[in-house]
Order: sequence, then C-alpha cells, then structure tokens
Amino acid sequence: MPPKQRDIDSITSLILRVGVLSSLSLIIVGVILLFIDGKADGVSISQIASFHSSFNSSYLNPTHIIQGLIAVDPLYFITLGLWVLIFTPITVVFTSMVTFVTSGNRLYIAMSLIVLFNLFFAMLAIPSIIHT
Amino acid sequence: MAGILGSLTGLGGATVLVPLLTLFYGIPIYFATGASLISTIATSAGSASGYTKHKIANIKIGVGLEIATTAGAIVGSLTIVAVHEAHASWIIYVLFGIVLLGSLIPTIQRSSSEEPLKRKPDWSTKLFQLAGEYYDTKLKKKISYEGVRWWLAEIIMFFAGVISGLLGIGSGALKVLGMDWAMNLPMKVTTTTSNFMIGITAATGSSIYWYEGYIQLFIAGATAIGVVIGAYIGSRLLLKITNKNIRWIFFSILSFLGVEMLLEGLDKAKVLVIATYIEEIISIVVAIGMISGLYLKTKRGENAAKAA
Repeated sequence: MPPKQRDIDSITSLILRVGVLSSLSLIIVGVILLFIDGKADGVSISQIASFHSSFNSSYLNPTHIIQGLIAVDPLYFITLGLWVLIFTPITVVFTSMVTFVTSGNRLYIAMSLIVLFNLFFAMLAIPSIIHT
Repeated sequence: MAGILGSLTGLGGATVLVPLLTLFYGIPIYFATGASLISTIATSAGSASGYTKHKIANIKIGVGLEIATTAGAIVGSLTIVAVHEAHASWIIYVLFGIVLLGSLIPTIQRSSSEEPLKRKPDWSTKLFQLAGEYYDTKLKKKISYEGVRWWLAEIIMFFAGVISGLLGIGSGALKVLGMDWAMNLPMKVTTTTSNFMIGITAATGSSIYWYEGYIQLFIAGATAIGVVIGAYIGSRLLLKITNKNIRWIFFSILSFLGVEMLLEGLDKAKVLVIATYIEEIISIVVAIGMISGLYLKTKRGENAAKAA
C-alpha cells in the first residue's frame, strides 16, 4: 500500500472520531443544561421532550448558534452538537480531496468536488428554494 | 441494540430504529426519520472511524460513489417534503416495509462465501482505480481485490441515495448490493465502505430535514447518543465475527420489522384496518416462515455441497 493511502486512512479515522465525540459531548451538555434550567429559548422542557411537540428544528436557525451559546441556551448546545455531526462527514470528503490534490489525482479531485457541491447545494440552496 | 446490529450489517442502525420509534414508542414518522438520519451519521462516523483505521474500508471508492448517493439523497428528501405536505405519510410506512423486505433478497440469493469469485477487471477498474487490498484478522491473510462495473454501482448508488433521503435511513443494503454484487468487492470491504459512505449521504439529507423541521432535538440527540454506544461495541465485534453469522441475525429482525411496517402503512391508508396485536402476530408468523425457509435452503445447499 502506498504511504499516501495510509495517511488518508488514519486522518479520516481521527476526524470521524473527534467529530462524533465533540458532537456527542455538546449534545450531552445541552441535555444536562436543559434538565437544570427546565426550559430553553422560552419553551418548557415538556414541550421540548414531547413526541408530538410542534417544536422542532425549523425554529432553530443555525446562524443563531453563537448568540445561543453565549446566552447558555441548552437548545443551542444540542443544535451545535447536531451540526458538528452533520459537518463531520463533509470534513472527511474535504480532507480526502486534499490528499487527492497532493497526489495529483485529477479524476478524484473532480469527483470529490462534485460530492462537496451536492452537499452544500442541499444545505444552502435547497432550503431557500423550497421556502420561496 | 439498534447500534450493534446496524453497525454489524453496515446498515447504519436506522432500518431497525425507525420501526422501533414509530411502532413501539408512537413517535410521528417525520420525527422518527429525522432522528434516524442524524443517528445514521453518528453510527456511520463512529464505526467507520474503526474500519478506516484498520484500512478495510476503501475511501477512494467510497468518495467516487458518493457522487450518485448525494444527488439521490437530494431527490429523496425533496420527495419526502412533498409527501408530508400532501399528508400521505402512509406511503413512507409502506415503502419502508418494502425496502426492509427487499433488503433481504440478496441474503437469500447469495451463498455466504468470504471471498468473491475472481472476475476479469474491466475498463472502469483501471480508470477509476478500483483495486485494493486489506488484511483479514480472522483468515490471517492479505486479501486483494479489483472492483468492476463502476457505472452499474453508480446507478444503484443513486437509488440508495433516494431511499436514504426518503426514509431517513443509510440504505446500507442497497450500497452493499452496489459494491458486493455490481463491483464484486469482498463482503468486508463492501460493508465497511458502505458504512463510511452512509454518513456522507445522510449529511446531505439531514440539512434538508433540518430546515423542514423533521428533527426533534430531544429525540434526535437521545437516539444519537444511544446508537453510538451500540455502534462502538458493534464495530469491535465485526472484526471477529464471520459473515455467515451476521446474515442470520440481520435476516430475522429485518423480516419481522418489514412485515410490521407494511401492515402499519396499509392500516394508516385505510386499505387494511386490523388491530395492532394481530399485526404483530402476522409479522411474527411471516418472519418465522421466512427464516425456516432460508434455513432449509441453506441446509439443502450444504448437503448438496457435501454430496458433490
């Protein structure tokens, strides 16, 4: 096995592990805070935990994460945790693209670019298309 | 539990998770699929971290095939938004049941060999650099392989992506089919690479789900944590268990849940209205019937092999 291949394997493994662990710690912190506070963002815990609650992710805008964290809002800790999770695989695609760039593998640079395009298209373009 | 099983079968845990959440906890299907899609990323990333470190998963093949799965996931998630807006969520139950049962077909058809038969490399093998090798700890030797029919796998992956976006699952079964059957990769490379890919596919659908409000933070957070703990244990197990054992566990659980989801969907659509306990009895009977059928078939196969 060429050394390049070996590098990408361990880097990927590391990113995945760090991503999952930090995401889960954020979620756990959020859940604990939620139980301490009893409410978050003006919504009571029973509403948040209810299976049929009308309170869901569409009320939480990821761009408010920073304000939410400064205000120590439990929901934004969970939100950040979930977004770190969503970004973990995206980071992996990005780093594999970097290794394709260093090894000059043009075909695979192009292919990982298409994958990244799809990912960001789903995240940035589609929501605004649906909601107009 | 869902974590362990999902990680074992390369399915990301969600095919077991969604039926459990909807049928036994009464969680609405859109929150169940949302939570499941998020947990899918977590399981996939958690267990793929182990596989990539052991160099079993082939990242290159994974990224190449992701072109089709991410595109498919976009199509699938958009379709589901339309389905929910039309208040036709029974379609999801029925589809889920069909997908679960359909994922069992390759299990019935394929003999359980550890190494694939050799196939002549084709034009795509060289162009898309599909050759690789890994070290099997159980067989204690290096196994090298050459993938074929990249284009066919790419088509199957598109549908895997659509299903993933539609049902909030990783659709590992279809991904396994794409690499195992179409590309002729060894089963272990297939399941681990599919596990690695599932996270990327699910991330695509997740962002669309998020803005549509299908993610209930509390349910999603809790299942993600539960599933990761299970997956962590599962990925330790996979390196030690042979492929044959995986198939048996996989088969029995999925056949039960598949029939159950199908009946629930028909019930919701008011096509076939029956009590829940009767649904469960029917599911168990059908599942037992299917398992005994498979058992007899395997036995006959083994006897035939002995006679020859």
